[in-house]
Amino acid sequence: MAEDLLKKVETDDMEELLEDDSQKGMYMTFQIGKELFGISISYVNEIIAMQPIAAIPEVDDYIKGLINLRGKIIPVIDVRVRFKMEPCEYTDRTCIIVIDVKSTMIGLIVERLADVDTIAEDNIAPPPSLGRKEHEHNKYVFGLARTGDTVTLLLDPEKLIRQDDIVTAMEEVRKEEQS
Amino acid sequence: MAEEFNTESMLDMFLYESGQLLEKLEGIILEKQDADCFDDADINEIFRVMHTIKGSSGVLMYENITKVTHKLEDVFYYLRESHPDDVPHMELVEKVLAVSDFVTGELDKLKNGDTPDGEEKELVEDLDEFLGRLKGEIKKQGIQMPQANKHVEPTQFYITPVAGDDSHFYRISIHYRSDTQMSNLRAYSATYALKEVAEDLLYTPDDILSNEASADVIVAEGFHMLLQTKSSKEDVIALIDSSEAEEINFDELSKEEYGRALGEFGREEAEPVAAAPAAAKDDGNKGNKEAKKEGPKPGDYVVKTKEAGKGKTLAKNQPKQQSIISVNVEKMDALMDLIGELVIAEAVVLQNPDLKVPGLELSNFQKASGQLSKITTELQEVIMSMRMMPLTNTFQKMRRIVFDVSRKLGKDIELEVVGENTEVDKNIIEHITDPLMHLVRNSVDHGIEEDPADRTAVGKSSKGKITLEAKNEGGKVYISVKDDGKGLNKEKLYQKALDKGLIENKPMSEFTDKEIFRFITLPGFSTKEEVTEYSGRGVGMDVVVKNIQSISGRLDISSVEFEGSEMTLVIPLTLAIINGIVVQVGNSPFVIETASIKEFVRVGEDSLISEPSGEEYIVLRGECYPFIRLNERYDLPDSNDKIEEGIIVVLEHEGSQVCVLIDKLLQEQEIVVKPIPSYVRKVKGLSGCTQLGDGSIALILDIAGLLMHDGERR
Repeated sequence: MAEDLLKKVETDDMEELLEDDSQKGMYMTFQIGKELFGISISYVNEIIAMQPIAAIPEVDDYIKGLINLRGKIIPVIDVRVRFKMEPCEYTDRTCIIVIDVKSTMIGLIVERLADVDTIAEDNIAPPPSLGRKEHEHNKYVFGLARTGDTVTLLLDPEKLIRQDDIVTAMEEVRKEEQS
Repeated sequence: MAEEFNTESMLDMFLYESGQLLEKLEGIILEKQDADCFDDADINEIFRVMHTIKGSSGVLMYENITKVTHKLEDVFYYLRESHPDDVPHMELVEKVLAVSDFVTGELDKLKNGDTPDGEEKELVEDLDEFLGRLKGEIKKQGIQMPQANKHVEPTQFYITPVAGDDSHFYRISIHYRSDTQMSNLRAYSATYALKEVAEDLLYTPDDILSNEASADVIVAEGFHMLLQTKSSKEDVIALIDSSEAEEINFDELSKEEYGRALGEFGREEAEPVAAAPAAAKDDGNKGNKEAKKEGPKPGDYVVKTKEAGKGKTLAKNQPKQQSIISVNVEKMDALMDLIGELVIAEAVVLQNPDLKVPGLELSNFQKASGQLSKITTELQEVIMSMRMMPLTNTFQKMRRIVFDVSRKLGKDIELEVVGENTEVDKNIIEHITDPLMHLVRNSVDHGIEEDPADRTAVGKSSKGKITLEAKNEGGKVYISVKDDGKGLNKEKLYQKALDKGLIENKPMSEFTDKEIFRFITLPGFSTKEEVTEYSGRGVGMDVVVKNIQSISGRLDISSVEFEGSEMTLVIPLTLAIINGIVVQVGNSPFVIETASIKEFVRVGEDSLISEPSGEEYIVLRGECYPFIRLNERYDLPDSNDKIEEGIIVVLEHEGSQVCVLIDKLLQEQEIVVKPIPSYVRKVKGLSGCTQLGDGSIALILDIAGLLMHDGERR
């Protein structure tokens, strides 16, 4: 199922997208729980089917482990767990979106891919802050987009993979290089 | 990604190329430092190096570098052409090193984005004086040039290029302003530009690159060219850089006039022409101290045809073919990843379930697949060997250090180098250069006795000896720095460590020799009373050990008092590949480096000792070892808790041992070590990850980390 969808997305939309330079306003949308989330297509490297993940001990629970992407070893995080939702079983609809944020490759496990949408700036509204302040995932969501009668929560991948994660990792690398 | 690799600018090329050349230069110099003189090949090589650096620095307008290299080039030009005897070899070596240091310094400035503003004047004058003395000496002693320097010039015939009907002939004279610097180089760039369009080009003075005196001639008399070309006058004028020129005369000639002008330029058709070196030879023969000031004489003109390329000096030297190209490491790594992928993809194809249809005739397929496997295996071997580099360059740096430090300290030291061709992974070379430098400096400074009399008193030759040796044994590389100096004094080391409070207050007899020697690697330990320029701050040795440990190597120290010491770095051949054993705990595969495994045992519940605090120990043959259950440590589900059903692996790291409980052994294989992505925070006890044959990922256990972790927990 997921693979069919992948194929569709890759052949239909991705090619168009890649040919068309203006990836602006294009969002890859996916479903987690009942909500629809979107991530700017410019971050997305590729989409792969779920595959065996090698768990790493002693890390935050949302870091599921490592996968082997054609010889490159990249970490994957479960977006559901990241949003502090109950983890759910991985099915054949579960996909990994490989994103590239500031040269760091990371896989995002999402329940189900939805589509690739063009969302006009006008349709994006900032998330309402009232009453939702304590809500955890608000910080990853930079906007709400309305398309028809559905609402998509647009994610900021840089916040999603947590800025400080990268910073501390970079520091460690630098320290190691120095010693 | 491609863009990342295309950022190399001209400056990068210059820095890279010059750096390489200087390294080569130092190599030659230091190799021959103890010889009496350089042989012809060396002189040619040094000349060529200087010539190249001069050329490229001239193009980039780094005048100080140009001047210095130019001067040294002069010196070697003289040596090459005149073969003077009695060259003060040591002085010459120093001069070359001084130039090399100067240029290296300037290159460093460029690398940091500064302007190369080093003062070259002193060095140039020094070289000038040296060259003067070389030439003077010959005059003074009246030595006839040896026969050997009747250098037979390759006879150059001139064949007039066929002049087409539409060819134009020009006589061009450029007069530079009298204060123009390096007018010869400017003239050269003019000829270089004209060569693009020229069918034929002659110029005088002809030796603008090899003879710096020509600069004076050009300023005084102008620079004259004869040009045969199809281009129009305007085009030609546009090609000539007129920035420093005072006046450019541009005459168009008829074919007949051109022929006559050729005669003026000293060229007769199809007749051998004396080349510039002959002029220099004459100068040498006369021993004329003023030779440099003299301009070339008529008749010294040389033929230059279009094909002359970069000038005859280069062509004559027959520069050695560069057989090395530099490749971005990222590209290499990408290639390595891809090849790894290829091997897996190959397995997927060859063991494809579709092939298992009964009754399928596959003999051709089998043949072809056998061939494919062979190629991929070879491909893997090649890419692995590409990462390996000989230690030659590293050792060369050490030669330089021994040379410098021993001269500064006034010690007479001979350096013997063994096995410099030993190949080590490039990453490792980067890590060992600094530690090795410390060790070599220490040996020169502390190892070898200050007073040669101390040496002869114990029956050693007065000349100190340091041996630098590299060898490859059992997947490890041993690099040792051995001196025949005074050795380590155990009492002194012990006393010092005690005084500084670096060790427990135990009598000396309770320490083994090895332990005592290891004191010198403690932070803040230095037995040298005085801090010298080179060593003695007591920061050296602990940094050495740290650096070596970071690449999972170790430092062995052995010493006999009055006979010398030996420091041996034991490092893995490569960081990229280790021989490992794949084990399974729960559902996760782990890799343990084979070298750190002492044994596998199965024990019963009765060998287990549990402390009330939860600490556990395993007793094996009367010895008690700390015990780690990997499944508990890393919280792995579905694993077995019963000690008699699992397997105990006894691991050793730097003398301490630990027992680890695993579920089962999977296989032994060579694995490619990859770092855990930096996004994931460092986990203690894991040193990396790897890809197994089936493409799944296994984590590599880091024994040192496990032990440390264990210690912390207590």
